[in-house]
Amino acid sequence: MQSDRSDSRGLNTQRTQSLTGSGDTRGKHRIQAELKRLEQETRFLEEELEQLDKTEKASAACNETLRNVEAIPDPLLPITNGPLNPLWDRWFERPKESRGCRCWIL
Amino acid sequence: MSSSVSELKERHAAAIETVNSLRERLKQKRQQLLDVDVAGYSRSQGRAPVSFGPTDLVCCRTLQGHAGKVYSLDWTSERNRIVSASQDGRLIVWNALTSQKTHAIKLPCAWVMTCAFSPTGQSVACGGLDSVCSIFNLNSPTDKDGNLPVSRMLSGHKGYVSCCQYVPDEDTHLITSSGDQTCVLWDITTGLRTSVFGGEFQSGHTADVLSVSISGSNSRMFVSGSCDSTARLWDTRVASRAVRTFHGHEGDVNTVKFFPDGNRFGTGSDDGTCRLFDIRTGHQLQVYYQQHGENEIPHVTSIAFSISGRLLFAGYSNGDCYVWDTLLAKVGHHSGRIGSYHLPFPLQVVLNLGSLQNSHEGRITCLGLSADGSALCTGSWDTNLKDILIQELITVMKLKVCQYISVDAQFDSLQNNAGVIQSKLARFGLLEGTGGCSESLGSERLVNLLLNLRFWLTSFCCFLLP
Repeated sequence: MQSDRSDSRGLNTQRTQSLTGSGDTRGKHRIQAELKRLEQETRFLEEELEQLDKTEKASAACNETLRNVEAIPDPLLPITNGPLNPLWDRWFERPKESRGCRCWIL
Repeated sequence: MSSSVSELKERHAAAIETVNSLRERLKQKRQQLLDVDVAGYSRSQGRAPVSFGPTDLVCCRTLQGHAGKVYSLDWTSERNRIVSASQDGRLIVWNALTSQKTHAIKLPCAWVMTCAFSPTGQSVACGGLDSVCSIFNLNSPTDKDGNLPVSRMLSGHKGYVSCCQYVPDEDTHLITSSGDQTCVLWDITTGLRTSVFGGEFQSGHTADVLSVSISGSNSRMFVSGSCDSTARLWDTRVASRAVRTFHGHEGDVNTVKFFPDGNRFGTGSDDGTCRLFDIRTGHQLQVYYQQHGENEIPHVTSIAFSISGRLLFAGYSNGDCYVWDTLLAKVGHHSGRIGSYHLPFPLQVVLNLGSLQNSHEGRITCLGLSADGSALCTGSWDTNLKDILIQELITVMKLKVCQYISVDAQFDSLQNNAGVIQSKLARFGLLEGTGGCSESLGSERLVNLLLNLRFWLTSFCCFLLP
């Protein structure tokens, strides 16, 4: 997969050359592209490090998560706040094509 | 020429060192900010785990019709329809309430991996190994062979389409993820790519992208999960780089899902864990992992959150589907309110949906919540879709008994055990001229099933056998 990824239009001519034996040119372009990507990555990581200085601790996000979760009524919870929606129970109606089962619970 | 190459190689090696050391510093710094996880915080606030038993999840529909493994499913934003994609090379559109199939779409390429319903419910999209995302308008007339024609093909990916999702509130745009390491935002009306995220000339994933999820509260934000073990957050207006990259997983990130509040998202990975990440700070807020007691750690293949986010449904490669309490990071445990009967097996700490459904055959491959969060649908290897519900009522129990009978019969019939089926059906009045459920239950499986039921209404406890 990696070798496919580094083929770009610009490298197609290089590819022909490499087939005839000039492998170095192709290698050079590929390494240059990788290098560029790594330098870009370095910049992003440095930015992120700086941002972290101003980032709050995880407890703030945990608090927000807890509050947000408990604010929303959830039909799948055994206990949830309202408002309850009667449409949540529509799954309990027998589907129309059921075989007229007469089973019952004692 | 060659010395220049070796010089480049040196610089390349040095750059890798720099990146790795920066990553390490980032990791340490982040660690210092992780003063607590969601479970620790919730416990400190006095929260108790959701009290949950196997009977709180009731299979109330079995949607039968696919002839191959169900790979993907998606609900409509209005409440009741589902589209599913299967190894049999078809998409089926179901009305989940009536169990009717409304469309069965034969696909030009049978190797489908993903499907999605458009926000208006008028179209469905699918993609797979053909590297194309195909759109079908459900209102189109069928062709002379009775097949629904493709209304648009979105071509351009150089690898398989692993996942697709429509941008909410419009039928005109969707986002795909691909084995070519990119995500793409498509304009469906023109069939053209609006933006490509990652790829050759831009910073992005460095391996196959397996999943995408668009934020429900801000449709310009989406997350992607990849074989490079990271998840990335993207802003559709900025294709050149991800807003943030989330490290932590130690294996392919197979599935990502935005958390209902839009400020967090969940992931599932080959490392056997699900994780919850915060998009604004980048923090990993929680890890969900349970020792499965096996030598091999099962991979997480699909996840879904309940509508509040309190529950995390996770499907694993061994066919299990666990229900996690996201706040307390516990797998929902049995509350024990089953009366005074001794169970023939130890109480399960784990709530495993797979164990409710003949899991020796069933392998859950995909799952999804209805738009209003009232039902969960799972797709499985036994080629059926099953709707699973919580909150048991009398009618549901009756339905459940019948459903289990029918599922039972199906498996037994596969083993040519017709005589056993007949007697089971007879006990439950499913054969003509037979009585009701008043007969004692002789089937071992049925007894186990019924003993496993949990009753909301105590008047029905007498149903349990002494």
